[in-house]
Amino acid sequence: MLDHILSILIFFPALAGVMGFMIDKGSIRAYGVAVAFVEFALSLWLWFAFDSNVSGMQFMENIALIPSFGINYILGVDGISLFIIILAAFFTMIGIASLTETKNEKNMIITLLFLEMTMIGVFSALDAIVFYVFWELSLVPMLYIIGAWGGPMRIYASVKFFLYTFAGSLVMLVGMLFMAYFFYQATGTWSFAILDWYRLILPESFQLWLFAAFFVGFAIKVPMFPFHTWLPYAHGQAPTIGSVILAAILLKMGTYAFIRFSLPLFPDASVFFMYPIAVIAIIMIIYTAMVAYAQKDVKQVVAYSSVSHMGVIILGTFALNVEGITGSVFLMIAHGVVSGALFLLVGVIYDRRHTKLMSEFGGLAHVMPRYATIFGIMLMASVGMPLTINFVGEFLSLLGFYEQSHILTLLAGIAIVVGAIYMLTAYKKMFFGEVTKDENRNLPDVNKRELIALIPLAIITIWLGVYPKPVLEPINNSVEAVVQLMHNKSTTEEAKSRIPNVSGVVISKTSTREAH
Amino acid sequence: MEKYLYIALFAPLVSSMFSALFTNTPKKQFVGIIASLLIFSAFVSSSILLTHILDGGDIVHVEMMTWMATGNLYIPFGFVVDQISVTMMMVVTLVSTIVHIYSIGYMDHDKGFNRFFAWLSAFVFSMMILVMSDNFAGLFIGWEGVGLCSWGLIGFWFHKEVATWAANEAFIMNRIADLGMLIGIFLVYWNTGSLQYDIAFPAMAHLDSATLTWMGIFLFIGAMGKSAQFPLHTWLADAMEGPTPVSALIHAATMVTAGVYLVIRSNELYDLIPHVGLFIASLGAFVALFAASMALVNRDMKRIIAYSTLSQLGYMFAAAGLGAYWVALFHLMAHAFFKALLFLGAGNVMHAMHDELDPFKMGGLKKVMKGTWIMMTIASLALAGIFPFAGFFSKDTILEAAFAEHHMVIYGVLLFTAGLTAFYSFRLVALIFHGEERYKIFGIHPHEAYKFMLIAMSPLLFLAMIAGIFQTPFFEMVEEILGATEYHIHSHATLLIMLVGTQMFVGLAILYAYKKYASWSSVPDGSSVIENSFIYKLLYNQYYIPYGYEEYIVKPYNELSAALWEVDKKVVDASVDGIASIFYSAGENTRDMQSGNLSTMLKWMVVGTVVLLSLAVVFGLAARYSGEIMSILSGLGV
Amino acid sequence: MEIGLNHYLILSTILFAIGLVGVMRRKNLLLLFFATEILLNSVNIAFAAISHYYGDLTGQMFAFFVIAIAASEIAVGLGLLIVWYKRHGNIDLESMTSMRG
Repeated sequence: MLDHILSILIFFPALAGVMGFMIDKGSIRAYGVAVAFVEFALSLWLWFAFDSNVSGMQFMENIALIPSFGINYILGVDGISLFIIILAAFFTMIGIASLTETKNEKNMIITLLFLEMTMIGVFSALDAIVFYVFWELSLVPMLYIIGAWGGPMRIYASVKFFLYTFAGSLVMLVGMLFMAYFFYQATGTWSFAILDWYRLILPESFQLWLFAAFFVGFAIKVPMFPFHTWLPYAHGQAPTIGSVILAAILLKMGTYAFIRFSLPLFPDASVFFMYPIAVIAIIMIIYTAMVAYAQKDVKQVVAYSSVSHMGVIILGTFALNVEGITGSVFLMIAHGVVSGALFLLVGVIYDRRHTKLMSEFGGLAHVMPRYATIFGIMLMASVGMPLTINFVGEFLSLLGFYEQSHILTLLAGIAIVVGAIYMLTAYKKMFFGEVTKDENRNLPDVNKRELIALIPLAIITIWLGVYPKPVLEPINNSVEAVVQLMHNKSTTEEAKSRIPNVSGVVISKTSTREAH
Repeated sequence: MEKYLYIALFAPLVSSMFSALFTNTPKKQFVGIIASLLIFSAFVSSSILLTHILDGGDIVHVEMMTWMATGNLYIPFGFVVDQISVTMMMVVTLVSTIVHIYSIGYMDHDKGFNRFFAWLSAFVFSMMILVMSDNFAGLFIGWEGVGLCSWGLIGFWFHKEVATWAANEAFIMNRIADLGMLIGIFLVYWNTGSLQYDIAFPAMAHLDSATLTWMGIFLFIGAMGKSAQFPLHTWLADAMEGPTPVSALIHAATMVTAGVYLVIRSNELYDLIPHVGLFIASLGAFVALFAASMALVNRDMKRIIAYSTLSQLGYMFAAAGLGAYWVALFHLMAHAFFKALLFLGAGNVMHAMHDELDPFKMGGLKKVMKGTWIMMTIASLALAGIFPFAGFFSKDTILEAAFAEHHMVIYGVLLFTAGLTAFYSFRLVALIFHGEERYKIFGIHPHEAYKFMLIAMSPLLFLAMIAGIFQTPFFEMVEEILGATEYHIHSHATLLIMLVGTQMFVGLAILYAYKKYASWSSVPDGSSVIENSFIYKLLYNQYYIPYGYEEYIVKPYNELSAALWEVDKKVVDASVDGIASIFYSAGENTRDMQSGNLSTMLKWMVVGTVVLLSLAVVFGLAARYSGEIMSILSGLGV
Repeated sequence: MEIGLNHYLILSTILFAIGLVGVMRRKNLLLLFFATEILLNSVNIAFAAISHYYGDLTGQMFAFFVIAIAASEIAVGLGLLIVWYKRHGNIDLESMTSMRG
């Protein structure tokens, strides 16, 4: 069973989703929770069986689809993707478990199970076409979730989300086709397998163009400034569960893809574009943090803060050294946990008051002390308090980038200041002061169903902040392999010097010379 | 010994978590008692460690577990008890034990009683991490942790707008400095390859001076925030919105001295860069004077003491910057005792006066509050540096150090500030405890604090009186690690003149303060000549710095944020929608072609055919005559 | 003057032009069919002439195919035309706009 655990992880929720159509409306929630729990248990088993000393891919599966064009169904995980898969399974589980009363509950749960399939598919695919298929498929359930259960502007928001990201992905697809074509020219065989592509060394000029093509697709997904405007709409209109999944997992597809595709395939181009991208990342960090400060709607604050944190992840990725990339992968998980929790928390108050405007609240700490406490923990995690999960990621990302540029890191470090400004201000507006609105006087504190979701998140936030080693170690090993591969593959002098040579890890490589 | 280290470190954590269990329940007396006992056990453990170190025992160094390890970076949870950290541990645990016990009385009627102890113990835990960590990352954990607890405690009465505002201000301002600190840590890591003190500091000796200078500057920026040095000082006075025991523990005795601790801990770095040290000393001397001047006219009891804290922190930085690390550490310790005592006394007065803070509305309280009066007077004498109290030994040594190092400007400033210190301290004492009972106008019936609160304060009183005798043993203890030099003025006569002169100067300042304020009879209403003078207004408004920050930083930030949001909607998003609408309107406009009229469509078909044919012809011709075209184009200079 | 390939091609072009103008200008469906026939036949002429010129019978074969297709097209087209006329009472192109976009 372990040989096919990835396929099982991908298709079990989808099959269960199909079966879900036959389940009675009354018991669909129990069914959904059970399926998601089994899936989560399977993902934990994957972690348990995962050998963290191996830096390469594990649990590989390979089934021929269109062999003449080198398109195969290849799956595999390494330390970089493992934890995002677990996170996806985890968030689907607590998302379904904490789902509040919604109309068409059955459709929602089935959609979530399909979404889970696409998410896990993206993170375990090792064939560009399979990756692309899951990547695009993930848009459909999310389109449906926003469009069917969203707020007043849901159609606009969902169409914008779909078209924007879809347009970017098409450019990425063109890049993939070109990449396969270059591979064909170099070796005489077609292949879309990413591991094959890793061995191909492209001339720098090709790398630049292909990097740009992939960049468009990834940057819109992340979303990077100035492609971020779909996100506030999507978050603003999406139901709580949609925002949670979107922020926790879907955004990570972009940053994950940077590490899976852009860095190892185009090391010279990565070095070439490092400074421009770092500048964009810094703009993301500071600009969106300031925009977040100006928001009146607490959900928009969290939405913009997501963009700001994604900037730090991008920066860590383009540190191009082990510390930075490990930090950025860890921060992906951290940000998933924290922003997911924050969106859940916003959902809690929205369910009670049916408004997200901060001016409607005030003094909530008096009436909802437990809610205020959990929100406070997540707030502190969000601003990067040490011994919370976010700090480990942010610290390592910034530390990593410091090797590349001092000034830019100093600018990016403003994140910890501006982040504190908007988060603390929002917290003060919502929780501190006297209760001014009569509607707020008798709000019930968080109930059991909400605690089921929030308590585990709070525990993870602290646990991985204090003891990140179990997660950090596998990530570190895989990242070392990636960095070594980049160092070996890079052709320009500058790239060689910028990307460190991680001693002790040797990757067999085929140069173009050999490929010809 | 490791056992005691762990007890000292984790007893506060246990205390905090235990108290946190009762956060949402009504007041429970036993929470306060158990928390105090746990903190007291940390104090006992620290004392055992101190005797161990004093007996010449080995430095206790433990590595608990790995925190972060990636690439070449390796950060453990490591803790070290050496001469410096054991001093800090003693100060922290002693003052916090007293403050915990005191708080049982002070927070008696507060419904957040349990929550208060959770936060307070959490603070002690963070502070212990800060001083005991054996690496910069661990220091940073404590550094941010005390910031968090300070946020929670300043904003403890979160229904008050000013309190939460002050809490956020403190947190954000500290964050600005923490950024500098973080950059300093990065510099240390990338240049020495480690964040462990025992690896990083020896490696610094081989680095070039420019790198070291940057390192020193960035780390000091971190210290400036925590220790509220100019220009990041405004948060400290506003932090007085928190409960008074918090002010005593956090904003006088321990947290604000973390910056000084950092400089002392990094003495090996700052020894290599004396020019940065001189800058630190100059800034310290400036802040000492600057803060003292603001304390002269303020009409808020707690703020006056806060400014005095700021001023004393300036003294400590002056000493540390001049390389007299042990003097700085000694003053830190002595200051913790008498300043905590002063604050707790102020807390008693506040309770008695029903949270009235203006000393002009008090007066004559010595009749009803004899114990508090004696304690605050002695604390003020110690603060002023009168022989034989604690301040005399620590502060005079700073002056001697400045004199012996031939920094006469710094010496002069510090000496002058000593006079100001004496004046504002006794202005406060005189206004509160002497003269007419002005509070009667406001219908207040003051009463002395609980007896056990006074008893809890008595160790501080004792230490404020006799801490001076520890000077020699302390010097001998830290000598080894801080490379200490005793500061001797060359001739005995000079020394004597200096000592006597200083004492007389300070004494005169005290007398002047008494003369002016001990018989004060009315509450100033802002109409007197002096209150309308420019200097008074300047000092009373804190040199208009908070106003300037509000006007030139906070407001523009608000406006810029709002403007950027507009930009986000009206430029960035609008251009995306614009691109989308180009396609949309192109479709809208061309759909008329699809009129459904066969005749029209046939016409379009013909147009299309003609266009395609002509394109084919053009490209065919161009391909055939490409050589000629190129030569013509190059002939045209294209 | 001998009649050569060029003359045939010129005739074919003229017929094609007449047919094209007819296709574009006529509003009556029946006349449109006439115009299409002219177009097709102009091509047929060209096919036949070029076929003869090169001595290759393929072109003439193609002309037959075209004639066959034109005939079947007319057969179907006229059938539809009559149905349309029965329903609407005219065969004016302007009235046939139900496919408007």
